[in-house]
Amino acid sequence: MRGMKPELDDASRRDRIIAALLRRGTWCASFLIAAGMLWSMAWPSVAVRAGLDGYGLMRGGVALFILLPVARVAVMLAVFVRERDRAYTLISALVLAVIATGLAIGLLL
Amino acid sequence: MPALWLFIAAFGASALGGTLGMASGIFIVPLLTLFFGIDIHAAIGASLISVIACSCGSAAPFLEGRLTNVRLAILLETATTLGAVAGVLMIGRISTAFLFGLFAVILAVSARQMLSRRQEVVDWSAANVKSWATALRLHSSFRDRASGGSVAYQVHRVPLGLGLMFGAGLISALLGIGSGVLKIPAMDTALRLPIKVSSATSNFMIGVTAAASAGAYFVRGDIDIRIAGPVALGSVVGALLGARVLIGLPAAKLRVFFVIILTLLAVEMLLNAFGIRILGCAA
Repeated sequence: MRGMKPELDDASRRDRIIAALLRRGTWCASFLIAAGMLWSMAWPSVAVRAGLDGYGLMRGGVALFILLPVARVAVMLAVFVRERDRAYTLISALVLAVIATGLAIGLLL
Repeated sequence: MPALWLFIAAFGASALGGTLGMASGIFIVPLLTLFFGIDIHAAIGASLISVIACSCGSAAPFLEGRLTNVRLAILLETATTLGAVAGVLMIGRISTAFLFGLFAVILAVSARQMLSRRQEVVDWSAANVKSWATALRLHSSFRDRASGGSVAYQVHRVPLGLGLMFGAGLISALLGIGSGVLKIPAMDTALRLPIKVSSATSNFMIGVTAAASAGAYFVRGDIDIRIAGPVALGSVVGALLGARVLIGLPAAKLRVFFVIILTLLAVEMLLNAFGIRILGCAA
């Protein structure tokens, strides 16, 4: 089948990579939050070390959820670069730049 | 155990919303502010995380079914994320009363939308060869399960779509919602997409849009993890399990039920905007 419909095959491969990333990421983040909640309920004041306690796990899960869509854009950027698709390389880079600007505003203002 | 209650409330909202293909985001902020007495800014932060979680958690089947137009999504995301960053800049300068009032308006619009069914307005006319959509190779096709065939579609009026998406991103950052309520009509009437493609693509974009503002609120320390964690988990579990469990409920009656709930919440949020509280604790 090689060379049959290269564009469609590339696109469906790309979509499957993104789907796998989002599915696994959602599982990981949900697991971290669930573990953090259970830990906080069971042993409210127990920490393995600074930052590693129920609250820390939950915070990690929340941070992972925020990172997940950003990672998805980064993966798309990488795919478009590989496909030498200049227009969409530029567009995905622009989305990442806007998100980075938002983070800078959050930190500085 | 407040964390458990937050989880259960978010689970319920998400499970019920999912039966009508609605995002639960629009219920989270009223739920947290009116019933839990949580500050509206903390509620918006928590709601954004749950919006991201639901978008990421439900994206995979749409992508694998080739319903999501990924190119169109990333293009429109330039506008939604810009809108979100504008919202981040504005939110500190906007009064709490205005946020409650704006939320009431969005709830009322959602209730209105729920009453009128979505109409398929696919424009089959050949797209202009010089249009943005043609230049950016946005026209695509999806596999229709009913007929088993491939349905090709054209994308129209991209500049108008981008403008509407900026507004959707702004509202998303200000109110902590996915803005599906604004995105879907924009995609139906401006871009003229088939409904399935429009829903899948809108849902896909919501995560990035919400992440743009949630990231800024997170690094600023404005996201209360003890609220956001349980709410996000409840929403994602509710969206995944709820739709399966509740699949037998009659859609027509649910629709009426939701219109009533949305209207009541709109009234309650509006009263809050004027400083009148009826429900919940005054904590």
